[in-house]
Amino acid sequence: MDVLSGLMQGFAVALQPANLLWCFVGVVLGTVVGILPGLGPPATIAMLLPLTFLMNPAAAMIMLAGIYYGAKYGGSTTSILLNVPGESASVVTCLDGYAMARKGRAGAALGIAAIASFVAGTVGVVGLMLVAPPLAKMALAFSSPEYFALMALGLAMVVLLAGRSMLKALLAMLVGLWIAGIGTDPFSTTSRFTFGQLELLSGVDFVVVAIGVFAIGEVLAAMQGRAEAQALPAPKGLRNLLPTLQDLKDCRFAFANGSVIGFLIGVLPGAGSTIASFISYGVEKAVSRRPQEFGKGVPEGVAAPEGANNSETGGALVPLLTLGIPGSGTTAILLAALVLWGFKPGPLFISENQALFWGLVASMYIGNVMLLVLNLPLVPLFAQVLRTPAFVLYPLILGISIVGVYSVSGSLFDVSLLVAFGLLGYLMRMLDYPSAPLVLGLVLGGAMERALRQSLMMSQGDLSILATRPISAAMLSLALLILLIPLFNKLNAWRLQALEQ
Amino acid sequence: MEKRIAFAALSALVAFGGVHPPAWAQGYKPARPVEVVVHTGPGGGSDVLARAVANMMEKEKLLPVRMQVVNKTGGGGAVAAAYLAEKKGDQNTIGFFTGVWLTNPLTSAEANVTLKDLTPVARLVLEPAVIAVKADAPYKSLPDFIAAAKKSPGQLKQSGGSVTSRDNVVRQLLQKNTGAQWAFISFPGGGERIAALLGGHVNIMVIEPAEAGEHIRAGNMRVLAQVTDKRLPAFPNVPTLKEAGFDVPSVPQVRGVVAPPAIPKENVAYWEGVFHKLTQTESWKKFLADNQFEDGYQGAAELVKFYDEFTDRMRGILKEAGAKVVR
Repeated sequence: MDVLSGLMQGFAVALQPANLLWCFVGVVLGTVVGILPGLGPPATIAMLLPLTFLMNPAAAMIMLAGIYYGAKYGGSTTSILLNVPGESASVVTCLDGYAMARKGRAGAALGIAAIASFVAGTVGVVGLMLVAPPLAKMALAFSSPEYFALMALGLAMVVLLAGRSMLKALLAMLVGLWIAGIGTDPFSTTSRFTFGQLELLSGVDFVVVAIGVFAIGEVLAAMQGRAEAQALPAPKGLRNLLPTLQDLKDCRFAFANGSVIGFLIGVLPGAGSTIASFISYGVEKAVSRRPQEFGKGVPEGVAAPEGANNSETGGALVPLLTLGIPGSGTTAILLAALVLWGFKPGPLFISENQALFWGLVASMYIGNVMLLVLNLPLVPLFAQVLRTPAFVLYPLILGISIVGVYSVSGSLFDVSLLVAFGLLGYLMRMLDYPSAPLVLGLVLGGAMERALRQSLMMSQGDLSILATRPISAAMLSLALLILLIPLFNKLNAWRLQALEQ
Repeated sequence: MEKRIAFAALSALVAFGGVHPPAWAQGYKPARPVEVVVHTGPGGGSDVLARAVANMMEKEKLLPVRMQVVNKTGGGGAVAAAYLAEKKGDQNTIGFFTGVWLTNPLTSAEANVTLKDLTPVARLVLEPAVIAVKADAPYKSLPDFIAAAKKSPGQLKQSGGSVTSRDNVVRQLLQKNTGAQWAFISFPGGGERIAALLGGHVNIMVIEPAEAGEHIRAGNMRVLAQVTDKRLPAFPNVPTLKEAGFDVPSVPQVRGVVAPPAIPKENVAYWEGVFHKLTQTESWKKFLADNQFEDGYQGAAELVKFYDEFTDRMRGILKEAGAKVVR
């Protein structure tokens, strides 16, 4: 069946009033789940599964997918307003989003995030619709050595996340890598750095560290200042409530960059949306004409990662629907849902369930429009949160953070870890260590270690496997090049200095 | 297998023949929603089974209350087991275990709660497995693969779960039996294992039949042998390990139900009754057929015996594999 008639059939399914309603329910729930830190789409979908047994599968799939991509829209809200990452994929959004909010441009940042999410979300669906089967085959060319190279490329982004001191950024990253190593060794099942603590066997949850270092650290640092009664300037005037034309112009490339990178990384079953958002942010900064402004509140620093984590959903559905291979926690539970409804996800799924597939695709176009219409008017409303005086807002942030962390694992141990990482975040701020490299190291560390050790098992300990496979070699060279950029800059500066003398 | 059927028949006799009266006639009945602890995240094997069971319980009206799945992930089941141990005497909690709950404490010093510290309730399913290669691989049979592995020791690769997983146990048993050697590469996610095989990065894998089914139908995969005692209905032409000429025990993945320590006997009897009833329903039979699971029902008494047998066998296998055994 060709794309056009498929899509027509899909809209016929998705536009049925009941399915429209379920799509709406899904995206609203998704937005809420995205806004709340901690509780993520997998847990929400799992909770709603019993309900879906009473629905027809197309409606259920439309709703559950709505939760999945809707959460990506909501995730940016608390990142921008409170420096609390709502989802792991929104950590990078904190950097420029929160900086924009501090400049009184919270509304513009939220608006840009919503628009970037819409553009990239739509591009993701287009990709899913047009190139899913061939792309899934290409994704199979990726194995452990390629994943290692991809993670290395992500890690190289540290030079772009560094503040004034490269050394401090690298140190923070190493601490992140170390934290990633805590827990049970995935290969030999030996425990590492667990100090006999059962709770540490499963490692340190990324959410705990990100919320601790970003949100708690920020609150502590701000309380020390305690000069202003109001935490952040509330946006004044229409210009700061919504993005301006200039903002949108600045983000032209970021929209495209986020969409494409997010989708491509999403297709790889072993990567995930967090790395997609980091890489897209790095690329944006690398090609920008004003890289020095990044981290101080530029709209493209919000648009790129928010776009990437939205088009990633379209990408992540590719291996799920074309091969029956889930890449992330959310797609794993979607796969389980399909099985429980009596489907057999696998290579023949799309051709044998045309109506369901095209209905889902069409509903994702509709859902993205719904989300934009839903989120843009909420922007000025959310921006008013910043009118809250500091003595209300800061305890509120602490409360939200604790509840968020507790809701992930239901363990008080994680809450004490949150406090510890909050103190670490505070210290890092005081000593001028950037926190993003730490989170980057933590996100990539586990997957990178696994990929490296798997590669070495494949090659019986021969490191050359990383350099002899073309995709991996290309990505590693690129990573090396990025790492060398600051060195070139430095050399260049010395040369100019020498010339002047 | 025959023994298992005999067990099932015996327990059926016990339940229906009135050797002891049906448990739900006695005192205990859950009054609040029951918490069901699983050790995998949403979408993982135990999680999916627990949610499917919760759904069937509701449909067949076997429980007066709802079942709520609680994910306590980490430490290969250690966190979930410890959580159940902490709930000592709690009457509204049960857990779904797998064989990992028995093998993990063998190698992990921190995992100090074993199934023996919890109250056994019932064994529910045995998941058989098949050995698969990519459709365009040169190996037409398991002996083909073994011969190729012998020719170039350590060069061929198998993708699988952790070193204590069933996948690796099957490999260890085959290696010991034949003298061939090949590498085992751990992938934590089931999807990555399949992707590695389909992408041609590894040569062979042990896979659940339902998962393999779709890839076989699409012409991407070929099954060389089945890790079962007798042929599965879906694979009538594929030899079992024994039929393929390898005298190794078939290692099923086992799943069942446990309760916290120190709960009253009548509660155990109640749960045993409920789960036994469940295994008699049409929904359950359809669920087993859809997933190509085997009915592995055992009551509490047999389950304890099974623990010992299974643990001893695994201890031997792990020691031979060179893993550090701490218990």
